[in-house]
Amino acid sequence: MEFPTIFWYTVLWLIVWGAVGALVTPRVYARKDKFTYQTGMLGAFVGAALGPIGLILLWRLTPAVSAKWLGASGIVVLLWLALAFAKAAPNNLCVTNGSFIATQIANGLVIGAIYGLMALGLTLIFSILGIVSFAHGEFYMLGGMVTYYATQIWFPNLNPLLGVLIAALFTFALGAIFELLFLRPMITGQIERPGEYAILVTFGLAFFLQYTTLSLVGASPKKVPRFFDYPRWKLPAETGGLLKVTPGNLTFFDAISIPSARFTALIIALVLLFVLLYFLYRTWTGKALRAVSQDRQAAAVTGINPKRMNTLAFALGGMLAGISGAALVQVFSWVPWVGIPASSRSFVIIVLGGMGSLPGAFIGGLILGVVEALGAGCVPDPHRAAAYLPAYGMIILVLVLLLKPTGLFGREL
Amino acid sequence: MIQLEVNDVSKQFGGLLAVNHVSFQVQGPELIGLIGPNGAGKTTLTNLLSGALKPSSGTIYMNGQRIDVLPPYKIAKVGLGRTFQVTRAFRRMTVLENLLVPALAMHPTARQAQFVKKAREVAEFLTIDHLLNEYARALSGGQQKLLELGRLLMLDPDFIILDEPFAGVHPRLMEIIYEYIIETNKQGKAFLIISHDMETIFTLSQRLLVMAFGKLIADGPPEEVKRDPAVIEAYLGSDSDKPWQPERKTPPAAGDRIAA
Amino acid sequence: MRGTMRRLKILTWVVGTSFLLILPWLIPTRMHVAVIALYYAILASSWALLAGYGGQFSFAHMAFAGLGAYTAGLIDKFIRLTTAPTYACTEFPLGSWWLVIQDTASPTCLEKAKATMPMGALIVKLPAWMDILMGVVVGGLFGLLIGALVLRLRRTYLALFTIAFAEILRTAINAERDITGGPGGLKLSPLFPNGVTLLGHEFTAADKLPPYLVMLGLFLLVMALMYWLAGSRFGLFIRAIREDEEAAGSLGVDVVRYKILLFTITAMIAAAAGGMYAHYVRVIAPNMMVIKEMSVVIAMAVIGGMESLLGAAIGAIIIEFALEQLRSNITIGAFTLNMADWRLVVFGALLMITLRFWGNGLIHPIIQRITRRGVAEETVAKRLQPRAATEPEDDTRVKIPASPLEPDP
Repeated sequence: MEFPTIFWYTVLWLIVWGAVGALVTPRVYARKDKFTYQTGMLGAFVGAALGPIGLILLWRLTPAVSAKWLGASGIVVLLWLALAFAKAAPNNLCVTNGSFIATQIANGLVIGAIYGLMALGLTLIFSILGIVSFAHGEFYMLGGMVTYYATQIWFPNLNPLLGVLIAALFTFALGAIFELLFLRPMITGQIERPGEYAILVTFGLAFFLQYTTLSLVGASPKKVPRFFDYPRWKLPAETGGLLKVTPGNLTFFDAISIPSARFTALIIALVLLFVLLYFLYRTWTGKALRAVSQDRQAAAVTGINPKRMNTLAFALGGMLAGISGAALVQVFSWVPWVGIPASSRSFVIIVLGGMGSLPGAFIGGLILGVVEALGAGCVPDPHRAAAYLPAYGMIILVLVLLLKPTGLFGREL
Repeated sequence: MIQLEVNDVSKQFGGLLAVNHVSFQVQGPELIGLIGPNGAGKTTLTNLLSGALKPSSGTIYMNGQRIDVLPPYKIAKVGLGRTFQVTRAFRRMTVLENLLVPALAMHPTARQAQFVKKAREVAEFLTIDHLLNEYARALSGGQQKLLELGRLLMLDPDFIILDEPFAGVHPRLMEIIYEYIIETNKQGKAFLIISHDMETIFTLSQRLLVMAFGKLIADGPPEEVKRDPAVIEAYLGSDSDKPWQPERKTPPAAGDRIAA
Repeated sequence: MRGTMRRLKILTWVVGTSFLLILPWLIPTRMHVAVIALYYAILASSWALLAGYGGQFSFAHMAFAGLGAYTAGLIDKFIRLTTAPTYACTEFPLGSWWLVIQDTASPTCLEKAKATMPMGALIVKLPAWMDILMGVVVGGLFGLLIGALVLRLRRTYLALFTIAFAEILRTAINAERDITGGPGGLKLSPLFPNGVTLLGHEFTAADKLPPYLVMLGLFLLVMALMYWLAGSRFGLFIRAIREDEEAAGSLGVDVVRYKILLFTITAMIAAAAGGMYAHYVRVIAPNMMVIKEMSVVIAMAVIGGMESLLGAAIGAIIIEFALEQLRSNITIGAFTLNMADWRLVVFGALLMITLRFWGNGLIHPIIQRITRRGVAEETVAKRLQPRAATEPEDDTRVKIPASPLEPDP
């Protein structure tokens, strides 16, 4: 295979100098008696971006770590990668066809917004309960499953939005019940090792929900038709140069094509996001939730019942995952296993965005959506591109955990 | 000869300078008290000494060896042991196992059986010998504190840091801890004791270090420190003309002037 | 007291081993389940060592088993020993033999070379034990690497990291079908390709008894190794690290070293089990590393008792048999329960309920009842005694005796 050689050499070069930068830079800063916090990451980025020259400059100047330096060198690294890719595969659609890339990115952002919504649920759970729910993907799966049954089997002519609502209520109730039965004992002191218990019991819940669903509905893929057909419409009216709408598709600028099912999902996600923000920042309950996430004891003193907030947060988190699933059930075909990659994606996103950060979760979702879309569209061997889809996010996860475990927007120690 | 040398050590957390260019030296088996208002940087300083945190600048030498660059376990092997402000017994291990951990860590080739007798003696000294086979989680808070001291006896360091050994302890247990400190000090161990219990610390220590806002503001015999204007200011605020009353059971930290 | 404990321990080993040895005559038709049960027992008890003793909640344990299995499988597929050079494949001289690698670039090189090789030249596979051993080495290397990478990570992050590692590995094996066969699987030669003769009885390659005995041997070896480790300073230190890393470090425990060591050892054990399993089932697929498999192993360890190696192993064996027993469908009137799926639901519920109400598992408390019998009574009795009467000579509470080898005070 001739393709990868130049590309892989570039990657190797980036990794080697990144590693050198990561290992040596903190020592240089320490020797110069400068603040060493995060200099390892800065060294890794600069080393990868500019190689030995950049590192020597960095070690001579030892500037204070700032988002500006990190961002700039990060972009240079991405440029190197893109350049190497273009050089290695000059005929790839991603190199020759701008409209293809734009479409990929746009679709990535759309899906990413929904991933972000789902990860918001997990972040909510983490910031209130201090645990990561390993069953988060199963709520997503159930949201889609319930929507399928509500709109296709039980009430065939039901408005799909009502189906989404049913899914939301179902996952909310499920989350609340699980929290009351299994997580409440953690804070009432009935569980000896809460940290370990939380990991294992949510892991057990995931397993339980997967196989209950499998036993009840079987393994054959479920398909929900798109919720809404859009009317044909053009803007400007004659050419449709800005926007062309057909029942199944939207085309922006004659270049970016988004299937209408995904567009509907995006709208649902955005509406929900605004409802959530309104809830968290404008209502008493929402403010109480945020108060609990910042200081449990202080919140309890002011008359908030932290136990009830725990239940609410877990139920809400599950519901957000459920609605994400309900929104995407019209886009992908649905089997009891769809929750597993969805869980992994949420983990990637909350670690990338920073555990407990709401904006981080949403932006992390967008980033992951784009990375996955580009990965799926650009990796030359289409079979491999699809097969490696779950791995892209995981590589991000590993990199973030190694370079900056607090994520992009995480609370610093 | 025990020797600890802290040279110009600082620790920065974000914008906060928790420990601000602190220097002091310890020669021989001294019994030193470390006091200061809340947030003065006492616990941070002990964490720097024990290697749980690395200083942002400055150096620490113990017995001629630079220890601020070493991982905590190597510092322990050089001869510095500590307890924690909140007791940290190994809860799901028996008292005996708790006591064996430091002994085995210090003697890489020894067998467990070699230390059981010593562990029992240590437990007897601390009056927890009837609990040897119980899990540490079954112990009361005070007994867990004693267990921590017991682990230090098994570790057998030259320099012992105790973080709030008297906080929330029954008077009977306090006697034992007091006796422990005196006895061990007689055997030639140096102590650095953080405490808010002024009465005890003033009678116990031969030398007092006072910290405020990250700085070491006084260092000397207790009687001298008592009269130090900088100390009085740190505890009572500058507008006070009253002499400081170290006999009080609790430092007057409850007043809002401390926060100012 | 101590003598009793020791006798009890020996008794457990003797009874347990002899039970497992006569098991083939008790259930001759279910030998396959027995082999798989032992496979899970090894994995569950080594996970108990990692998570229960060491507090390292890794979800990559099955990935290590998969590494062992695939290393064995790939060696079995691509590497041959020949007595003459091929001049067509990548090859290395190895004494009087040649180590030949049929890489994907020249998959048929050996076939072509056969024509040119001298008469009577031998082409053989590596023996199974050798590629399993290689699997163990590879598993250990990865364990070392992962252990070193996750050092700084706290519990939840560690769980996420190891899930990510396991998924990347599984995805890669799935995707690289030229090498690994992808989801279709990878075929291996049996443990004893030419059969084996035991006690005058000849067994063919398809017979279950020889692989059962080999798996049993591995199981006993692993249990002995782990019990020795758990009872030594290693066990004491990793438990101290589990309880409180910082405190352990301040008492002189080299936290970094013991954590890496723990990861490496348990990864090697998992890889050994994986390699053995691969040669036994003879076709492995990336499915052996899916999260479901990991869940099963975790559930076995939890139900048995995470803090007990024996408890986890017994839990694994019982559950594997129970799961197989529950396979047959249940029909109630017109309603048929597909037990192949429902049994896992029961199992998941059992896992959650065990965690909720019996945090120490179901089997571990029974074992503890026996091993810690009388401790509480003695504590009370001791406390009621006047202190003056506490002479070390008549003190029999401590299980390990004081040795005359007293280290300097």
